[in-house]
Amino acid sequence: MCASAGPVPALAQPVAGPVTYQLDPNHTFVTFEVMHFGTSTLRGRIGPVTGEVTIDPAAKMGDVRLRIPVTTLSTGSRLLDARLEQPDLLATVEYPEAYFVATKFQFDAAGGVKEVRGEFTLRGVGEPLSLVARSFACRQDAMLKRRVCGGDFDADLKRSRFGATLGLPFVSDDVHLVIQVEAIAP
Amino acid sequence: MFKTTLLALVAAIGVTAAHAESATYALDPSHSFATFEIGHFGTSTNRGRFNKTSGTVTLDKAAKTGSLDVTVDTTSLDTGTAAFTKHISSEEILNVAANPTAKLVASKFVFNGDKVAEIDGNLTLNGKTNPVVLKAQNFNCYMNPMVKREVCGGDFDATIVRSQYGVSYGLNYGFPDNVHLVIQVEAVKQ
Repeated sequence: MCASAGPVPALAQPVAGPVTYQLDPNHTFVTFEVMHFGTSTLRGRIGPVTGEVTIDPAAKMGDVRLRIPVTTLSTGSRLLDARLEQPDLLATVEYPEAYFVATKFQFDAAGGVKEVRGEFTLRGVGEPLSLVARSFACRQDAMLKRRVCGGDFDADLKRSRFGATLGLPFVSDDVHLVIQVEAIAP
Repeated sequence: MFKTTLLALVAAIGVTAAHAESATYALDPSHSFATFEIGHFGTSTNRGRFNKTSGTVTLDKAAKTGSLDVTVDTTSLDTGTAAFTKHISSEEILNVAANPTAKLVASKFVFNGDKVAEIDGNLTLNGKTNPVVLKAQNFNCYMNPMVKREVCGGDFDATIVRSQYGVSYGLNYGFPDNVHLVIQVEAVKQ
């Protein structure tokens, strides 16, 4: 049936050729984690993230373009949100969106996405960023009656590289991103 | 012999008394959040955060004991998606109208050196109470320059079986029974 015939447990039904998936706004969020005074982890959620991703596991190719609405920042505390939106941190008035674009995809033997390397733009500053899959799977969604692919990805960055420097070093320079993503086939 | 033992005992009590200081800490609402994580059809992880948590912790670092009494406002659930938040809050799942709070009460703190490593307590959720073990991923105390008081806190996690709390929605559609709780907590010395 297709060139990639063989055991493909990560993919419910293998699809030949490139498929473009639209991000599912109900299941696509970025959460950042940053250590606060060496004590506890401060978290904030941004999303839903919008955009599309094209993958062609057989050809080992992919392309992703994401818009990350930084203005949707939510820590659970309005006070914290207001502080994080200031010019010395996320600068959401000047830079209401962050972006991630990538064309370097690594796939596992089963055709699942393993790693995506691209460029992350935050506060108008672009830096390389690698998203590493903690889990990835595709399924035929019973409710949407469409093929859905997605997973959980991790990434790490230094916020000072993007000019978000307030509170260093009491609030760590190391930011961990926890990314939930699901995307729906046409 | 007897005298020496008695002296040693008195000395030991004296030392303990000098260092024993049970202090009370109040949860900082800006740095105390409970988030749940549950798998979504084997694909990704759904998350929801409760925005309002309050309570007190007592800690005696010398005696290596502690206790806590924490209340989570279940009506403050926030998933980032209004429809998802509404569904989880509904009678079908957390029934927050009938059970607007979840409670965590604990009186057993396990220390590793001078740090809290584990808290064994009881969680009341959806009106049902079960034992729960919170494992510390981080724990630390520091002098906070803004409030000019000692703050103690950390990151804790636990896995609960939601059917034990009567939350069984979707188990037959393949939604997992295990829910991972991720807890950030900081508390200010009173």
